This record gives sequence, structure tokens and C-alpha cells, in this order.
Amino acid sequence: MWNERMEERIRQRVAAALWIGVALFVVLSVRLWYLAVLWGEWFRERSERNRVRVVFLETLRGNIYDRRGVCLAEDVPRFRLVFLVGSSDEELVMKRVREVLGRDIAFSLRERAPGELVLLEDLSLEDVVKIEENSERLPGVLVEAYPARKYRDGEVAASLLGYVGKVSPEELKALGKMGYRNEDRIGKSGVESFYESFLRGEEGYRRVEVDALGRVVQVLDFRSPRFRYSLQLTLDWELQRACYEALGRRNGVVLVGDPATGEILAFVSKPSFDPNLFSRGLSLKEWLDLLEQKSNPLLARPTQALYPPGSLFKILIALAALEEQVVTSRESFFCPGYLEYGNRKYFCWKRGGHGRVTFEEAIAESCNVVFYTLGLRLGPERIARYARMFGFGQDAHLDLSGVKTGFFPTPEWKRETLKEAWYPGDTMNLSIGQGYLLVTPLEMYLLLCAVANRGKVYDPHVLWRVLDEDGRVVKEVKPSLRRTIALRSQTWDTVIRGMEKVVTQGTGFNCRGLPVRLAAKTGTAQNPHGKEHSWFGGFFPSDRPKFVFLVLVEHGGDGSGEATLVARKVIEWILQNRGA
Amino acid sequence: MMRREHFFVLVTLCLCVLGVIAVYSVDPLRDEGFGPKSFFGRQILWNAVGWALFLLFRFSDFQWLFRRSWLWYLLSVLSLGAVLVFGESDETGARRWLFSRSVQPSEFAKLALLFFLSSYLSTNRDELDFWSLLVKSAFFVAVPTLLVFLQPDLGTALVLGVLWFGALFLGGWHRRKLGLLLGLVAGLSPLSWFIMKDYQRKRILAFLDPWQDPLGSGYNVVQSQIAIGSGGFLGQGWLSGKQTQLRFLPARYTDFIFAAFCEQFGFVGGMVLLTLFILFFWIVLEAAQRVGNLEERFFASLFGILFLFQVGINVGMNLGIAPVTGIPLPFVSYGGSSLLVHLAGAGMIARLIWRTEQEERERWI
Ligand SMILES: [Zn+2]
Repeated sequence: MWNERMEERIRQRVAAALWIGVALFVVLSVRLWYLAVLWGEWFRERSERNRVRVVFLETLRGNIYDRRGVCLAEDVPRFRLVFLVGSSDEELVMKRVREVLGRDIAFSLRERAPGELVLLEDLSLEDVVKIEENSERLPGVLVEAYPARKYRDGEVAASLLGYVGKVSPEELKALGKMGYRNEDRIGKSGVESFYESFLRGEEGYRRVEVDALGRVVQVLDFRSPRFRYSLQLTLDWELQRACYEALGRRNGVVLVGDPATGEILAFVSKPSFDPNLFSRGLSLKEWLDLLEQKSNPLLARPTQALYPPGSLFKILIALAALEEQVVTSRESFFCPGYLEYGNRKYFCWKRGGHGRVTFEEAIAESCNVVFYTLGLRLGPERIARYARMFGFGQDAHLDLSGVKTGFFPTPEWKRETLKEAWYPGDTMNLSIGQGYLLVTPLEMYLLLCAVANRGKVYDPHVLWRVLDEDGRVVKEVKPSLRRTIALRSQTWDTVIRGMEKVVTQGTGFNCRGLPVRLAAKTGTAQNPHGKEHSWFGGFFPSDRPKFVFLVLVEHGGDGSGEATLVARKVIEWILQNRGA
Repeated sequence: MMRREHFFVLVTLCLCVLGVIAVYSVDPLRDEGFGPKSFFGRQILWNAVGWALFLLFRFSDFQWLFRRSWLWYLLSVLSLGAVLVFGESDETGARRWLFSRSVQPSEFAKLALLFFLSSYLSTNRDELDFWSLLVKSAFFVAVPTLLVFLQPDLGTALVLGVLWFGALFLGGWHRRKLGLLLGLVAGLSPLSWFIMKDYQRKRILAFLDPWQDPLGSGYNVVQSQIAIGSGGFLGQGWLSGKQTQLRFLPARYTDFIFAAFCEQFGFVGGMVLLTLFILFFWIVLEAAQRVGNLEERFFASLFGILFLFQVGINVGMNLGIAPVTGIPLPFVSYGGSSLLVHLAGAGMIARLIWRTEQEERERWI
């Protein structure tokens, strides 16, 4: 019923509505204050994150130089085509890129970062020009420079320098904290890997402002990537080349170095591979091909491959026997071509026998019978003690990654592992560098260094110095004495004389007649898989050694063959070009 | 002292001007200058038409509108039906438009229902507070509301529903009845979950926790809050809000224009807008109090409530304290239909204010 009371009630309701409005006003104002003033800073940061996209640019790696300043590895610019997603129609742009380049292209369409697709990698300069000329027709397409590693004559020093590749998921897990990103390059072997921390530079970035569709509005700022340090190696590039060429078609190892400092001058491993292939990104097939090659080109033979040292090991036996005075330099032996021990015959490599030989001649002729005898006189424990003194079977050190250690057998080892006693036959095999004994070429090289330097062994190294961006030297590797083997000087004298006779009247006849006093030793390592490996190593001038060299030719036949021929070329090159 | 009517016109004018400024700032075509294609150009055009309507109703008696309220009601129901049959859909797939997307009948339905309810309740004033009238009015409101809901336009349907509830409230229905009604709605609303479309459910969830899925269903809410938050106290300046200019903010010219405004003018700008809104509301309701005629009192106060509810929901959703429903901000959001309806209504209110002032003066003399 309509009445005064009803009318009054309606008036009250209107007034109530008014106050509801005021309450709403207060609520909205407080919330506005809360968002805009109290949390303003926080939201502004959100907004920033909304609109700013950071694209990281790959770091530059430092250069690698040889000791004379020849650049061996450097980053060169390559170009890739990047498409910013959302800035225009993808299909249309790809069609136009095909038109502009005038050929059919399979686009990689790799998503490099959110909103960025890589259309093409490794563009030719010609293509870059074409794209730039037509940039108006290609909205959202961007030519971006990126660094790629380039190695001088890739195959020549591949195993020493190593190669770089994209960081793998496992590496990323381990190194993520150090700032590595998905697309980063990392040294995978050799110097590139060992000195990664020096070679890796600082990454650059490009900060762009994007709108809600991911379109780039403007580039906010940009920092170009930089390298921090370059490396100068002890390597002598020309010598390295000469050694590589001296090996010719043969597979094997050449090491040359300075015994007085530990500097490595040449480090050749063959077969080799071209590390430049890795820079442009290997296809899966290429990679599998590399891995499946029987000759294993990725193996850095000087430091990673194990061989029996063969007669080269006789140098150690000779030193031990002299030092332990189980023989004198004047003693003479008779070699009938074999040594009978127990009821077995152990043969000399010269089946007809060497007849009567002095100790030094035994070295020169590499007579097995004499060394069987010396080995038996020494016994396996003493041989092992000397081997340890010279570092066999212990951590061989070189500043390259993946350096392996050889294996030196002892009676305890044989008992524990093979559950067999050590027989005198084992000692005899050991004395001529056969049997269970395995060494890396680097270990044999260090033995030669020890003899050349009369007991003082310097740490072998390939890094000479570290240079900063402006080429200033920030670090220099000084020779560091690794061990001193204190033997009597007659011991050294006698063995060196014997090694000189190897060349002048013994198995090293291929190197006879060179205008320098050369001390060396041949070796033949029996190889169950085929022809013997041939060793030849030594130093010159033998009275004040400046160069130590070691050559190994896989399947090269006996030591007086292939290895000596290679070594002769190397020595001749050094005498001619570096003087000695 | 300034006359109430003039103050009211000033407030309305300020809202419209700020609206044009805001639409200009988010107009993607503004660099092409003032033209029929640009959003702000069309907004100015609509303002011109709207103010013409304002003047028309200010200077003519609009009693005839009440007398033919049934006609408006039937027309709006018919046009809403036509939308469902012939209507054109927008980007979201909802059918809301007639005549090549120029007329949005649901906006006019608001005004039609306003007249219908005030006239219907006042002619049946003897039955106010009767259950029978409640049921009958509920039926009349339910028809257009359902048609709008089917478009689907949840926001406008909600507005129409609230209009009905506001009418009951202002109609002096007893508190217990209103409480019962509210309780019923609250009790049944969970059931609506099952008839909602998927995107509507997502909106509700996004409202409850937008940061759960800031790039998906929570995107609107999150971007809007970021825009308001990064405006700070004084704002980033006209035309320079990153959220707005780089188009992170969705529905910048319609639903989220408040956020775009706040990013540019900050807390201060937002408060200016809110203050104008509350002043408008206050003046309207005060006019409703002063007017002698019951019909006109219903009309004015319902108009005020309609206005308040739309502002509350829209600003609330911009601020992240109300769910996202497509309700435009009166006078400010881009859109002709809404602007015309509200300016026409404001013109009528202006006439009421002017007339009551006139009557009061006469009584004084
Ligand atoms: Zn012999």
C-alpha cells in the first residue's frame, strides 16, 4: 500500500545508495593507491621485462699465435639470416628470401632465442649484399654477424690446437654457473679446451624494445662481444709444417722441443682432421664419418695413444745398468742371435747374431741379447725403480687436455691383476720395450729430454705467453724444472756416446752424414695388428743439445726404416732454417 | 554560487574530454590525423551526437518517454532478438551488433529498461513490497537479460540484472525480502559454473589468481595491473606509457581504458577520474532525492545505480578486484552506443535538476 512510510523508506534507500557509492569510491581509491604507489616500483620492473628483450651475442675467442707471431686460430665474421617472429608473415618472408637469393633454400628455422628464428647460417658475402639491398622487401629479416673459428691450414696442427663446438647439454649443466649459454662455443680439445678460460671472451648483447606482438620497436643498447686474452704458443709454425710434410702419407707422430726449457716446438699427429669443419657445424653424417674412421683422426697421438716403446726403451735399461754398475762401458758381450734361458730361446732381432760387441756397440746395434742380459742382471724391481725416476707410468704433464699416461708393468701388478707370477721372460721382454709396457710418445720424448739434459727434466709446455687485448704480455710461462735425475756423469756420457754411434755406425744409418753431432736411438714396436711401428728419437747437437725430436711412424717397419727417413728430413730442415 | 545543474554539466563534460584524451592516447591510427577512420575522431563525432541528444532532452519535456515505456521495452526485446538472428559477431565470436557493427542494442536496452522499470513500479506503487509484483517485474527483466546473455554478453546481462535488483532496493522492498533474494542468488551462483562457457570459467579462475597463468587466461588482468602499477604516482606522461604504446595492454580503448589512463597520468590521474565519477553519481542521486515525482525519482536513482555499477565493475576489473566482464567505462571508453545512451540519460538528469531548482525557487517566492 502506498503511504507516507513507504515514501520515507524510498528516500532512505536513495540515501543508502549514496553511501554505498562513497564506500565503493574509497575501496577503489585504496586499491589504486596500493597498485600505483605502494607497488609501483615492482610493476614498473614487470613492465620493463615485458618490453625489453635481451639477445646475447656470442663471445669472441682470443687468437692463438705461434712463437713467431703467426696467427694459427682466429675468429672471423660469418653471417646468418635471423627472422624476428611476429614482425611479418613468416611464409611470405621465406618466399621472398628465396626470390632475392634466386635459388631454392631449405631454411633451418632454428629458434635461437624466444622470438628469433635463424633462417640461414653461413651466408656468402654475395648473399649478404643481396639481402641488404632488398631489406625493404624483407621486414623482420636481419643479417647478423657471428664469429666462427678459423684455423690456418687446419690439418697441420689440429690435434694440438683442438677445435671448438657448441656447448653440449652436459657441459652446460656443469658450466651454466660460469655464464655459458645454450648457443655458446667452447673448446673441445687441445689448447682450445685446456686454455678455455683465457680464450673465452666476454659476451655481448643487444637489448631491444619489443611490442606486445614481439615486433622490435627500437634497439636500446648494444655491446659488442670482446675477447680478453690471446695466446702465444711455443710452437714454431714453419717447423710444425715441415714436420707434418715430412711425415708425408704416413701416419704417426713428430715431436720437437727444446730440452733446456721444456718448450714444445712441433707437435704433429697424423692422420689429422680439419677443425674448420667444426666451426661451420658438422652434419651428423660428417661427425659419424670422423668417429668411424679406423685410423681415428681425432686422437691426439702424441699424448693420447699408447704404444710399446720397443728398442727406444733400451736407453733406460742402459742408464740403469750403468748406474747400478751391473755393467761397465768396457764390457764386451757375445751375441749368437739368441739367448737361451731356462729351456727357451730368446732371439735377437738379427737372427745371425751380432757376434762380439762392446756395450756402446750394443746400443748402436740395438742388440737384444745384450739387453736381455742386462735386464736379467737388474731384475724387474730395479728396472721399475728407474722407470719411476724417469716418470714412466706417472702423470705425464702437458698443457693440453686429455693427456694420457702409459702403463708400466711390475711383478706386483702382474700378481694382483693377472694372478700370475712374474717370469724372467717378462723381464727380458721389458728390457727391450716389449710385453706389457705401453707408453705415450710424450713419455718417450721426456726420456730423451732427460738424457739430452743429463737428468734435468723441464715441464713440457705449449703455452709461451698470454697477451691481453692490446697485445701486452700479462703472463709468461717460465721453464719449470720437473725433476732432476741424479746419475753419475759417466753414465750419461756412455749412453750418449752409444746413441751417437747409433747414427754413425748403427741402426740409424739413414741419418748418417748430417753436419751435426746427433745422438739418437731407433725402435721397433711389435704390433699385433699389423706391421711394426717404427720409432726414432734423439737430440742434437749432442754435446750441447738444442733440439730433442721424436718420430713415430705407425706400421713403419723396423726402426732403421721409415722413422729415420722422416727424422732426417726434419733435422735437415732445422739445420737449414733454424741453425743448430 | 554555481548552480547545481552547471556543476553537473561541467563534471559530465570533463569526463567526456578525458575520455577523448584517453582514446586519443591509445589510438593506433592517430598518426594519420583526425579522420573518420581514427578512433579518437569517431569518439569526437559520437560526442557531438551525444551532446546534441543531451541538449535535446535538457530542453524538451521527456514525460512522453515514460508514457510509452512499454513500447521501448518491446522495441529493445525485438532488437535484441534481431541481434541473435541477424547480428554480426565481433572478434570473440559474440553477436552484439546490428547495422554493420554500428549499433549495439544491448546498450539501448539499458535505457529502455530504466524507463520501463521506473514507470512500471511507480504505476503499481500500491503493490510495492508485494511478492506478486516482484515476480512479474522479474519476468519482464528476465526476457531481455536472457537475450543479452545468449549473445553472449555476460557483462551487460549482469548490468540488467543489477538494474532490477536496484529497482527493488530503491522501491522500498523489505530488507528481509532483499536478503532472501541475495541469499538465493549467492546460493545458486555456484551452479552457474556448469552453464558457463569455458572462456568464462577461465576468466573467473584468472580473476582469483591471475599470476598463475600471466601469459594465458590471466593476461588481461596482469597487463592491466602492470600498466596501472608502472604509472606510479604521477604517471609516465601523456602518450608515453610503455604498456599502452607497445600494446601489451589488451582492449585498450574499451574495457581497459582506465588502466591506459592511469599508466599515463598515474595515481593522481586515476583519482581525478574516480572523483569525477563519484561527483556525477552524487549529483544524480541528490537530484533523485529532490525530485517530487516518484517515477522520475526511480528513474534518476536507477540511472545513478546503473552508472555506479558499471564504473565499479570496470574500474574494479582494471584494478584486479573484479572479474573481467566486458563492461565499458561510461563516458570514457571508446564506443558510440554507450556514449549516446549515457549522454542522453545525463541530459534528462540535467533537466530534472534544472526543474527542481526552478520549483524550489518558485516555492521560495
Ligand atoms: Zn744381437
